[in-house]
Parts: sequence; structure tokens; C-alpha cells
Amino acid sequence: MATLTATAPRTIPGALKQPAVRKLLLLALVAAILVPLANARWASGAWPDALTVDLSEPLARTSDWIIDNRDSHPLFLYFFGHISNAVVLSVRAVYLVLLAAGWAGVTAIAALVAWRVAGVRLALGTAAGFLTCGLLGMWIPTMQTLALMVVAVLASAVVGALLGLAAGLSDRMDRALRPVLDTMQVLPAFAYLLPVVLVFGIGVPAAVLATVVYAAPPMARLTALGLRGADKEVLEAVESLGSTARQRLLTARIPLARKELLLGLNQTIMMALSMAVIASVIGAGGLGDRVYQALASVDVGAALAAGIPIVLLAVVLDRVTAAAGERLGTERKSPVHWAYALAAAVAIAVAGRLAGRLDWPEAWSLNIADPVNRAVDWMTAHLYSGVPVVGGTAEWAGHFTTWVLDPVRDGLQWLPWWSVLLIVAALAWLIGTWHTALTAVLAMAAIGVLGVWQPSLDTLSQVLAAVAVTLVLGFATGIAAARSDRFERALRPVLDVFQTMPQFVYLIPVVALFGVGRAPAVAAAVVYALPAVVRITTQGLRQVDPAALESARSLGATSAQQLRQVQLPLARRSLLLAVNQGVVLVLAVVIIGGLVGGGALGYDVVFGLAQGDLATGLVAGAAIVCLGLMLDRVTQPTERRTKKGA
Amino acid sequence: MRLRTTTAVAAGSALLLLTGCGAADMTKQASPFANAQGAKTVTLSIQSWVGAQANTAVAQYLLEHELGYRVDTVQVDEVPAWDALSQGRVDAILEDWGHPDQEQRYVGDKKTIVRGGDLGVTGHIGWYVPTYFAKQHPDVTEWKNLNKYADQMRTAESGAKGQLMDGSPSYITNDKALVDNLDLDYQVVFAGSEAAQITQIRQFAKEQKPFLTYWYSPQWLFEKVPMTEVKLPAYKEGCDADPEKVACAYPHTPLQKYLNADFAENGGKAAALLKNFKWTTEDQNEVSLMIADQKLTPEEAAKKWVDSHESTWKAWLS
Amino acid sequence: MSSTTTSSTTSGSAIGTTPVFSVEGLWKVFGPKADRVPADPELAALAPAELRTRTGCTAAVRDVSFDVRKGEVFVVMGLSGSGKSTLVRCLTRLIEPTAGTIAIDGEDVRAMDRTRLRELRRHRAAMVFQHFGLLPHRTVLDNVAYGLEIQGLGKAERRARAAEVVAKVGLEGMEHRRPSQLSGGQRQRVGLARALAVDPEVLLFDEPFSALDPLIRRDMQEEVIRLHREEGRTMVFITHDLSEALKLGDRIALMRDGAVVQLGTPEEIVGSPADDYVREFVRDVPREQVMTVRTAMRAGDCGGPGHPGALAPDEVVADAIRVVARSGAAACVVEDGRCLGVVDHERLLGVVAGTEPHKEAV
Repeated sequence: MATLTATAPRTIPGALKQPAVRKLLLLALVAAILVPLANARWASGAWPDALTVDLSEPLARTSDWIIDNRDSHPLFLYFFGHISNAVVLSVRAVYLVLLAAGWAGVTAIAALVAWRVAGVRLALGTAAGFLTCGLLGMWIPTMQTLALMVVAVLASAVVGALLGLAAGLSDRMDRALRPVLDTMQVLPAFAYLLPVVLVFGIGVPAAVLATVVYAAPPMARLTALGLRGADKEVLEAVESLGSTARQRLLTARIPLARKELLLGLNQTIMMALSMAVIASVIGAGGLGDRVYQALASVDVGAALAAGIPIVLLAVVLDRVTAAAGERLGTERKSPVHWAYALAAAVAIAVAGRLAGRLDWPEAWSLNIADPVNRAVDWMTAHLYSGVPVVGGTAEWAGHFTTWVLDPVRDGLQWLPWWSVLLIVAALAWLIGTWHTALTAVLAMAAIGVLGVWQPSLDTLSQVLAAVAVTLVLGFATGIAAARSDRFERALRPVLDVFQTMPQFVYLIPVVALFGVGRAPAVAAAVVYALPAVVRITTQGLRQVDPAALESARSLGATSAQQLRQVQLPLARRSLLLAVNQGVVLVLAVVIIGGLVGGGALGYDVVFGLAQGDLATGLVAGAAIVCLGLMLDRVTQPTERRTKKGA
Repeated sequence: MRLRTTTAVAAGSALLLLTGCGAADMTKQASPFANAQGAKTVTLSIQSWVGAQANTAVAQYLLEHELGYRVDTVQVDEVPAWDALSQGRVDAILEDWGHPDQEQRYVGDKKTIVRGGDLGVTGHIGWYVPTYFAKQHPDVTEWKNLNKYADQMRTAESGAKGQLMDGSPSYITNDKALVDNLDLDYQVVFAGSEAAQITQIRQFAKEQKPFLTYWYSPQWLFEKVPMTEVKLPAYKEGCDADPEKVACAYPHTPLQKYLNADFAENGGKAAALLKNFKWTTEDQNEVSLMIADQKLTPEEAAKKWVDSHESTWKAWLS
Repeated sequence: MSSTTTSSTTSGSAIGTTPVFSVEGLWKVFGPKADRVPADPELAALAPAELRTRTGCTAAVRDVSFDVRKGEVFVVMGLSGSGKSTLVRCLTRLIEPTAGTIAIDGEDVRAMDRTRLRELRRHRAAMVFQHFGLLPHRTVLDNVAYGLEIQGLGKAERRARAAEVVAKVGLEGMEHRRPSQLSGGQRQRVGLARALAVDPEVLLFDEPFSALDPLIRRDMQEEVIRLHREEGRTMVFITHDLSEALKLGDRIALMRDGAVVQLGTPEEIVGSPADDYVREFVRDVPREQVMTVRTAMRAGDCGGPGHPGALAPDEVVADAIRVVARSGAAACVVEDGRCLGVVDHERLLGVVAGTEPHKEAV
């Protein structure tokens, strides 16, 4: 190959000029001074007890105080009480409206909206989606989830847009908000549940607020991004005409950012939906609760019956908002159509009402639970163990646990605590700046201080194992998809479904297949993270400069050489982003894996929620936050900071 | 600048508006999904284990078909359920295994929850080994001999030690302390949910493998996988007071019902039915078995039981 | 450069003498503590590279002075990075100048408060941008009416006025399209119409045609010439294209590294470059298209009161060559019936070859 020009042998000063080598040397120097000191004082493999702070007492007291004062203290009566009240009233109002419209009315209105903003095909899809929800016997839970979603999405959008406006207009706000929003984006949904439960108790208000906290950041980030990314010359032109700041904002900056605003809304909806399902753990009700109940009885069929409406809702909402974004700027159709269509929808709703058919007719239901369960029974009976040659899934899980998970966990826990910090620092610094390295090390140290060093390393070992599997599978699939259009087309709907499926739904089939323990948690995490990794890999490979590829081809490179020497190196940034996303997504599910025997931090959070032992739960939640922060920083290439899309 | 002041003023006045119109006690706010469309709604807490689902299924069936209520069920874990019950987000818990702290707080001090009487079923938690294994090794049923069998109870999850399988994190358990205090060579492995635990037990039973598990009765699984209890040091009143130092067996607990105080007073026929609801261990197991093993929906299972036990439930309606 | 400014009084009698813009000692320095650079004579004298290493500052505009007269087309021309775009933005304080004075009709721009400045931008100076700066979510008509909307005009009135201007720039029938549905040239017509709609005293152009295809660019240049002829509006025109500058400019300020190296009529720039940089710059210019007969003529008598085949002094040399070649003899140069001198083969060839002696007859 022509590119293989000989590089001159590096001399030592030459090597020193490499920033990576310099960073490592500096780090080694710091370590050489600090490690003997630390080792002499606190010689132990695990985090030294002397350096931990026991928070369980004060946290338990706080939690007791809140429960005792929730009905009497002014803070609750005059502040949280009103918030909670507002949430309950608005969810109830939306729910009553949905019920009053009846199933026919809701379907008709949803299809109408989809038709107007996104076209006939999506309208038909929307109608089919809603009817399927009814057919599966999930009409009422679907409406409950929808009511909760409407309120949560509106609140998230308003809060997010206001924050984004502040960050978009003021540099100081931007500097203050951006790291917070970036961090919130990488945290597992589970970590948000406990604080809201602490204040609001189990129930819909807590669920809605957790959803808002989880779903508002993308709106805020994209609003700020849109406001900041507006064409400078347009703004200058607007200013040159003598506009006031307010006129600039209203007539130029906000309209110019409308694509980002809609994208933000889209992401907020998707995140709200996934959170609305997870929030069933704290009493959100609706579809998520059905999935959660099914999880409790390993009833895959019932879980699927509730999971399908969630996926349908997600796909419909995603497509409609995305289509609305694409249609921006094209000609508007006349409002007369709206009027006719609205009249038709109202007529259908009224007809449904008059016919007394508000509730979904019970006769029209399709029981998919039984056949699915039979299939799963068959699967577990035949695949679980004793399959000739390859062994059963249970054996795989066992081997994976013994040969991968255990050594990794034991290895991590065997490492002296300071060496873990050093490794974290080295990785984060090599891939980022000293800033990211410091954040990562502090996050890791905070885990030790919180006194959950061992369980966190356990969780970390699961994350590492799952990420390794995800990357191997994801890169392989991604490369295959990048090389074959047909394969990519076939893959796309599968990825769509997997990406919108709530994390809970994965847990049930994996328990049936892999039994109980860490292996199913890892398996669920792999399934959840895989679509994003495949997608980013494929995109990255496909976006490689065609000129570079062409020149390689003109030099007679084989397709393997093209891949190895041109595509992969040029797609490096995308691959790093894929690793980062993979890590973040895997962490989210490994935590939820606490529900299927994953143990460690996830179990602590579930335990905290289940036993009302908020001290345990909050400490574990904080550790998850730190772990997420550390993992993100360690895998975050510096470029991501400058070029951040969505 | 002006924009900032306007927003500040707006936020301030919004806050004033919120706080100005008086107190809002969120502990008195019901679920937004309750009583929709004028239907009388009862919200029942549904716990994750099947026995509790059986109670709820039968109560729900009767409330809907005999009394014309609409019933919402919410899955809440045991302890948070007390909080939810106190706030009125749930109207009744039909099976409680004993939470003295919570009872003191809500029934004794706050008086937001009232007792609903016995469920009629007595619960007991213990450690169990499969009967087929106990027959081969009769001495395994004595806790002192458990270490002898630790090797045979090993799994990938428990590593070098024997596996003691626990269920959902929401269950009452002293197992970690017990293992420590009784000096047992076992590792507690949490299955994360009862269903996961049952799945695992049945897989073990299919292959006739030995195992040691946390389990409880009444439970329908005994019909499918016969299990024998391992004798732990006898339970004495107060021996489980300090959760760190527990070294004795679990007690026998008469299972209790609890109702939200407002609901108990104003709940009319529904409250009366739930107060009167009382059946036997056999009744509960019959329904549980239909749900868990025959994979009937809870509603179908409840209907079958109701159809064949008219005399029992007629008494609750009066 | 001062030597050339004095000699630029020749350019046409239609242009008045009150300066619209009067710029004096203008500086714009980017970087930390930018104020100290113009204030300190030592720093002010530094070369750009040295200034950057010494202070970390970049002087985009260095001590620039000029007047823009009423009704003229004043071109600022320079290569990219010469500071011309910064300069034009300083005029309405889209970029805040670091030092110096700017006056519009004698009023100090730098002393204006926000209301006054907004007034200036709304009514007195409107700008046309390189990449058009149109609002993508508005129709052509609403884009053109935008400036009027900012001023608070009612919808019907501003639309009516916008429609007139849209017609003036030749976009009839496209009022309801969006910018994304227009070609580059059409978009710039919208940008031009938007600036015209507010009826400003001065039009500022920031490289308006450099993003356009050559043919479209020529059309647009013709359009600007036509507008200027019809309305006589004062224009400040920024360009990096020398031929555009020569074609449009009544006077040209040539910038390099933030400073004006020469200011004069096209003829002065081409005919008597101030330094080697300018000379190199104008080397390939077809001189016969720029230089006028006034430069080429020599003193001489027309020989009698009748002036058959006489040339005006403003005519370019190319035209004179045609006349002289046809008649085969020297032609006389006449202004207001008065004989100024004659041009012959020799003088005209000298101009084309660039070897003519420096202007003697003025």
C-alpha cells in the first residue's frame, strides 16, 4: 500500500513529544509519590474504611423526618403539596378527556393529527397502532400512560425550553448548565427515582416529576444548541435592520432554532416514554405497571401484551414528531382541510359516545399471552439446558459467569484501590483532557467515600463484560450493515423496535433463558445497547469521505484492506462515540438487572425502593451517578465536546 | 435585561399564586386514575407474590361483578405500600406479613390506616431443601449440618460457597445475618423477584439437583416441588429484634389486612367486603395454583373459585 | 495614501460635497485589552505578526480615515483578511470600534445611545450581506417587509411597500416562495430588496455577489448600477474582486492588513499605484477600460472652433482608440465646448502599455 511509508525510528525525545507518553509519564510520577504514602497509611485492597463516610444514619433520619412531616410541615403543605396537586389534577384532567373521547374518538383524533403533520401513511399507522393497543386488551392502561405522558412531556418541554433559552442567550448560564445537562444525559433512569420518592412518596406525582427530570435535559440542550447554532449572518442581518433584543429573539432566533426545538421535543418524548415505564416501580401505573407485574410473575406473554403498546406509542410519536420536523418550511396546506378532518374526528367521537362504546369492547380482544407463553415454555424447555453439542442457554450463562464475570469482578476487587484510581485517571486523560481525568477520578473516589466500593466494582465488572460483548457484536453487525445495503434495510426496523422497547421488557425473556443472576442482567444490557452501537458504527463507516475510499480503491486495495486501512481509521470518532454510548446504555440496564439477580448497586436501589430504606437506595443511587460519570468521562473523546449533534 | 426581570417577576408571582391559595396536603391526594367517569373505584395494592395476587384477584372479581365497582390495581412493594395506603393512593392491602414499625407509625401515631382484620391465612418463612434431597440426606434438615452440603449447593453465582437463594428484595429476610451469625459456608444470592426464584427452583427440580432456598408458606409451589424445611434455632419472642444479630428462625405470622382510614369509613360496601374478606390457606393456594401453574389470568382463576365457593364469599357481602 | 486623496476631486460633478460618512482614525483591535493598542504609538506601529506575538491582539482595522460623499459609490476593496468586512460593520456599530470617530451626516455614531443607534440602523443605513442573511421560515414578501416590521409598521402597509420593492428588483410572482426555493441570485435580490424597503440614506454591501456564479454576478452588478443611476443613493460597497470594484466604484479604498493603502478613483488606482503592492494588484487590469481620455491627452490645440469627432475627457481610452483608429488622426478632447487637449496614437498606446508619463494635464 502506498500509505505505508516508513516512519523514522523514534528516538527517546521524539517519544516524549507524543502527548500520550508525556501524560503517562507525568501520571506515573504523581503515582510514584502518592501511592507509597497512601499505601503506608491505608494498606488494603479495597477502599480503606478510614476514608469512608457513613451516610446511612443521617439519610435514614431525613427520610423519617419527611414521612413524619409530610402532612404538616409548611414546606410540604405550601410547596411540594401544590406541585403534587397540580400534577394529579392535570393528569386526571387529561385522563378524563381521553376517556370521554372514547376509543374511537382518541384513535380518530390521533390519526387526524398524524395525517396533518406527517401524511396519510403515518396516519394509517397511528390508527392501526391505537387499535392494536385496544385489541391487546390494553386500552385503559394505554390511556393512563398517555395521560401521564402528555403532562410529563408538556412540563419537560416547558422546563427544558426555558433552561435552554437561558443557556442559549447567556454564556454564563451556558457554562453553568452544560456540564450538568451533559451529565444528566448519561445517568441511568433508575438513579432519578429515589430522590423524588423521598419527597413525594410512591405515586403518580413522583413518577411524573422523575420523568420530567429525566426528559427535560435533551430539550434544554437542543434548545440552547439551536439558539447558539443559528446562522450568524442572519442574526447580523436582523440586527443591522435595527431590531431590539426581543424582536431578534421572537422573530429570528427562536424560528431559526425550530428544527432543533422539534428534535428536542422528539427526544424528550422518547425519554419520557421510557421513563414513564421505569417509573412504574414508583407507582406510575399504566402500561409500565402491567410490564412490571408481568416481570414479577415471569409472564412473558403478558409482558409482551403490555410492551407492544409501548413500542407502538413510541414508534408513532417518534415518527410523527420527526416527520413534523422534516416538513418544516414547506408549504402549508389550507386550513379548510383541518376543519373538515376535525369535524370528522369529532363526529366519530360523538358517534362512539352515543353508541355507548366508550370503553374498548371486551369481545374484540386478542389474547397473545397464551401462545407466547407456550412458545417461551417450549424455548426454555428445549434451549435452557441439555442441547446437544452447544449446551443450553443456562450452561452458557453459567460458563459466562464462571469464566468471564467472576474473574473480572475478582480481578477488579483484588486490585488495590489506588491502582483503580490510577487506571481511571490514565484512561480518561489519554482520551480526553486533564479536566475529564480529574472528574473521573473524583467520581471514582466518591464511590469509595460513600462506602460502596465493592458492590460498585461488581457492577463495573458486569458493565465491562457487557460492553465487551456489545462492542464485538455491534461492530461486526455495523460493519456488515455498512457494506450491504440490503442487510441494513432489513436491520433498520429491528433496530427501531429494540431501541424503543422499554428496558423492562428485555428482562423477562432473558430470565426465562438464562436463569437468575448476573448473566441475564448482562444479556439484557447487551440487547439494549446493541442497536445504538450498530447504528453509530454503520453511520460512521458510511460517512467516510468517498474520495478517500475511491483513492484507496484506485490503488487496488482489497475490500478488507479498504475497511482496515481507510474506513475504520477514518471512522474512529464514530467508533469512539459508539463505545461511549454503549457504556452509558449498558450501565442503565445493568442497574435494572438488579431485578433479575444482577445484585450489586442495582439490587441496592431496588432494595431501597422495596423496603423504603432510602438510605441504602440513595447511597447506591449516588454511586450509580458517580459510576456513570466516571464511565462517560473515561470513554469520552475530547472531540465530542466541540462537535455535539443531538 | 428586561427579559430577565420579566421572567423573575413571572416566576415570583407564579410561586405566590401557588402558595397563596392555601395549604395542599399531598398525603390526602388520591390517584388521578381513581373514580374516573363517575364509576366508584377501589384501588388495591397488588404484591409481587402469587398468594397476594390470588387475594386481590378474588376481591377484585367480587367488587366488580357483585358490587359494580371499577378496580384499579397497583403493584407496590410492601413497605412503600404502607405509605401509599396512608396517602389514599391505595385503598387496601390484603396480605401483610408484619411490619411493626410501619404499623406503629401509621396505625398508632398518624391514624391514617386502620386494621382490616385477619386474612385467615398464617404465614411462615423458612429455609427449604427439596424433599427428594432430604430423603437421601435426612440430616440436611438440621442447620448444623448445612456446611457439610455446601459443596453440593454451589452454583456459578455463589462461587466457592454454597448458594442460599433469596427472592425479591422486598421480602422480609434476615438471611445475610443468619448466614454470618450461624457461621455457614453459604452465599446469599438474590433472585430479584419471586418469579425468577420459582423459575430457578423448577429448573433445579427438573434436573433433581440439590438446592437451598428461602421460601414461605402458604405457597402453591409446594404442590409442584415438594420441599422440606431446614430447622433453624427456634424462634423466641424478640430474638429477631436486632437485625444484625439475628440467629433464630422466622416466626409464624397471622397475615393481616389494612385499610386506608378514610376508605374504611366512607368506602361503603367495598370497605365492608374487604373487612369481611377471610379465607383459608387451601382457598388461597387453589387460586394461586390456577394463576401461576395453569397460567389462567387472575380474573379467570378468581371466577372459577367464586363459582365453586359461593357459601364462603356470600358471607363477606353481608 | 494622503498624496492620492487630494487629487480625487475629478470624479464627476453630480456628486455633492457633504460627506455622508466621515471616518477618522478608526481602529478595531480584537484580543485581550484591545484598547491599549491604538493608544500606544509604539504598539500601533507594529507589524501584524509582531503585534500578535507581543500582545495576542489582531488589528482588523488600523487607523483608517475616509469620507463617503453623498450619492457616490464608495468601494472598499481588499483580499480576505484585509479588514474590509470589519470596517463596514463598524460603520453601524455591528462591531464596536476600538478607537477613532465615525460620523454620519455630522452626527457622532460612537456616541449614540441604543435608541439612537437603532434609529440609525432602521432608517439611515441598511446592509446587504454576502450570504444573504434571509430568514428561512418567511416568504420572500415577509423577508422584504421584515425591516418595516421591526420598525413597527402595520401588516398591510408594510406588505404593500414590500411588494413595490420586490417588483423593483425584478422578483414579481415570487412573493410567496421561501428562500430555500430561490436561486442564489434571486436570494440576493431579496436581500437587496429588504435593504431598499426601509428607504435608507446609505446602502452598505458586504461582498454581496461573491457567492454567486459569474454570469449572475454580472447581472447583479448591472442591477446595482441601474439602481444607483435611478435613485442616486449613496452606497458603500465591499468587495475582494478588483474588476467589480473598478466597475462600480466612484472611488475605491484599497485595504491591506487593516489599513487603507490607497484611496482614489479607479483611474488613479490603476494609473498611479501608490506602492508596489497596489501596482502588483492592478497589473493585469485592462487599462484601456479604466483609464480615461483625460489621462491620455496631451496639451494641444484642436485647431478651430468646430470639434469633429471630439472626445469627452471622461471617456475611457478604449473608446478613444476606436475613434482615433477610424479617423487615422489625433482626436481632440472637449469639455463644455472648451478644448482641453488632444489624444493621438502614441499617447493612447502609452496608456495601454502602462508607460505613459504621469499625469501632466489636470
